[in-house]
Amino acid sequence: MKSISVRGLSKEFILGQRKGQYRMLHQWLAGRESNPKDRKSAPFLALNDVSFDVEPGEVIGIVGRNGAGKSTLLKILARILRPTRGRVELRGRVGSLLEIGAGFHGELTGRENIFLNAAILGMGHGEIVDKLDEIVDFAQVGQHLDEPVKTYSSGMYLRLAFSVAAHLEPEILLVDEVLAVGDAAFQKKCMQRIEQVGKRGQTVLLVSHNIQAVMRLCSRALLIDQGVLKLDGPVHEVAAEYLSTGGGNAGERVYPEGPYAPGDGVVRLRHVRIRSREGETLAAVELNQELGLEMEFQVEESALSLFPTLSIRNEWGNEVLWSTDVDSEWHGRRRPAGRYRVTAWVPPNFLAAGAMTVTAAMQSFVPRREHFREEDAVSFQAVDSLGAGTARGDFIGHIGAVTRPKLEWTMEYENGDPAGLSVSTPGRAV
Amino acid sequence: MTSNLGQLGQHSPARSELTVIVPSGVPFLNKVAEYRRCRTLFVFLALRDVMLRYRQTLLGVAWAVVQPLLPMAIFTVVFARVLRPATGGVPYWLFVLAGLAPWTFFAGAINAAASTFINNQGLLNKVYFPRAILPGAAVSAFLLDWLVTSLFVISLVVWQGYRPTMAWLFLPLIVVVTAVLTMSVGLALASLMAMYRDVKHLLPFLIQIWLFTTPIVYPPSLLPHQIQRAVGLNPMAGVVEAIRSCLFRTAPDWSLLTLSLLSTLAISLAALLLFHRLEADLAEQV
Repeated sequence: MKSISVRGLSKEFILGQRKGQYRMLHQWLAGRESNPKDRKSAPFLALNDVSFDVEPGEVIGIVGRNGAGKSTLLKILARILRPTRGRVELRGRVGSLLEIGAGFHGELTGRENIFLNAAILGMGHGEIVDKLDEIVDFAQVGQHLDEPVKTYSSGMYLRLAFSVAAHLEPEILLVDEVLAVGDAAFQKKCMQRIEQVGKRGQTVLLVSHNIQAVMRLCSRALLIDQGVLKLDGPVHEVAAEYLSTGGGNAGERVYPEGPYAPGDGVVRLRHVRIRSREGETLAAVELNQELGLEMEFQVEESALSLFPTLSIRNEWGNEVLWSTDVDSEWHGRRRPAGRYRVTAWVPPNFLAAGAMTVTAAMQSFVPRREHFREEDAVSFQAVDSLGAGTARGDFIGHIGAVTRPKLEWTMEYENGDPAGLSVSTPGRAV
Repeated sequence: MTSNLGQLGQHSPARSELTVIVPSGVPFLNKVAEYRRCRTLFVFLALRDVMLRYRQTLLGVAWAVVQPLLPMAIFTVVFARVLRPATGGVPYWLFVLAGLAPWTFFAGAINAAASTFINNQGLLNKVYFPRAILPGAAVSAFLLDWLVTSLFVISLVVWQGYRPTMAWLFLPLIVVVTAVLTMSVGLALASLMAMYRDVKHLLPFLIQIWLFTTPIVYPPSLLPHQIQRAVGLNPMAGVVEAIRSCLFRTAPDWSLLTLSLLSTLAISLAALLLFHRLEADLAEQV
């Protein structure tokens, strides 16, 4: 028996009647279907004839670009939005986690917020009482439990909110971008919890921009593009397709000012991009081309020894490259507050072809601390160029290796003459 | 409390059950079951409102008593001499206070309920629960205040020499009718405000006008004869009249009470219809 069955699901929004634009009295007086010429509103198909099935216990990722319709799909399944056409059947209790800390109120204490938030997420009174100790333990807020949450640090606040969410035990769990908030340790905790949930046999539908997270947690994924279900299959195939079509912040990503960017009070990530020496942003790079991994960060508070770290993962989730700024002039020196831009240069003829994602991180070593780790900050396509000057040479077949460097080849040639061993380098006649 | 009982609190049906999502929305019977399952949330939301209202105040729940007392003092000073109303022998200040007690509940509750949808936009966009819980809980949170006010007023009534009679047994029934009326008006206002923000600006005037068209500072007999018969169309007129005739043993105006009961019924039905049309698209509308 299917856990979720979606048939022909479509959602139309009437633009101009959505948030921010309210129907005015004169429109009302004129009737709903006022003069079509006056109406800026045109129907917009956010979802177009989407169908799929989910077996009980499956953990499925939903990927797609911003505005592709992923969240609309999840909101319909969570019954927040009403579908325009189609039918959904959900078997079992549904819990949705579209936001953690929904309904949290600053004036209420941690304990009061646990009760309220748990009730909002759909737990009954008895269930909350049963799980209260577990939730409190997991949140690690200690003696602050009976203080108003407005006095909490943002980390404590998040831990408390996530702790309630983590103890929701429905048969079907819908999760949207919850992993996108908080520091690295917190995100790790989220991932572990969702892994556990999947292993318990609950059905999970996970919407995320974090393609690595989806690849780690899910076996199957759905790719949604412009409201259409473009691909439904094994997660690595979907990830490859998503990244190769320029999904997932191709080439460049700018983070918002303020506390929503990855980071902490010391340093925040501002901007990551793939660039050429000339300063051009690149979404696709030929293998025989040099590329720069550029990262811009804001040091908010002068701190000792910040080490920016950049790494590249391929579409299979393997880390193919990791590099940190070892011989910076700031080594062992305090960085004054301000904005920094660093670039790590990847030599030509080093990477293999495929869809790549870049992770940008910042650490300090004494004491050891990770200020941020932004997985999938940007993606780019490493394009195989056939022909001279590449590591491929004249070879035309498939190359499965993780890196494809153009190495120096030497040759030793022996011609039956034990004394006449000659060493040569490529290109030189023997 | 067993965990079995707790599971009733889930918004979604129990294990073997099936949730079907179609454009036409949730069938009526399923909706009733949904509201029953969400009673935990209802109670917690109401409790939150109660706790937040008096946290960090000096007077705390005593505000429930002070709130009707202040306008009573003003009205008594201003109108007692001017109107010289025929209150059937009841001291004018007590006469006004008996009417202001349900009015304070009604006005406070509809004012709070009206903005529940627009104030909880984030919640409506992120979590599903039966939507009418929001204004419903906001109204319920004022019931406690009304209880405190009522005990205070009743003790004043007794102090003024009125003895409890069988008629007082009707008071809880009047409370129920008033609560239903207040929830309906609150639900309607919240729905309207979700669609038209104008309601937010209009509401203070509406409440003000409603106060003076309700016979609170004057007896209905003061009105011109033609208007007197229509005054029952305002359901709050019936509430005030019923409470006074219970407390002070004055003869109830039956035609006014009947008319008020009918208009309460009509308002409730209209509110339900209005809300029903909006409910499924609420997340998009607010």
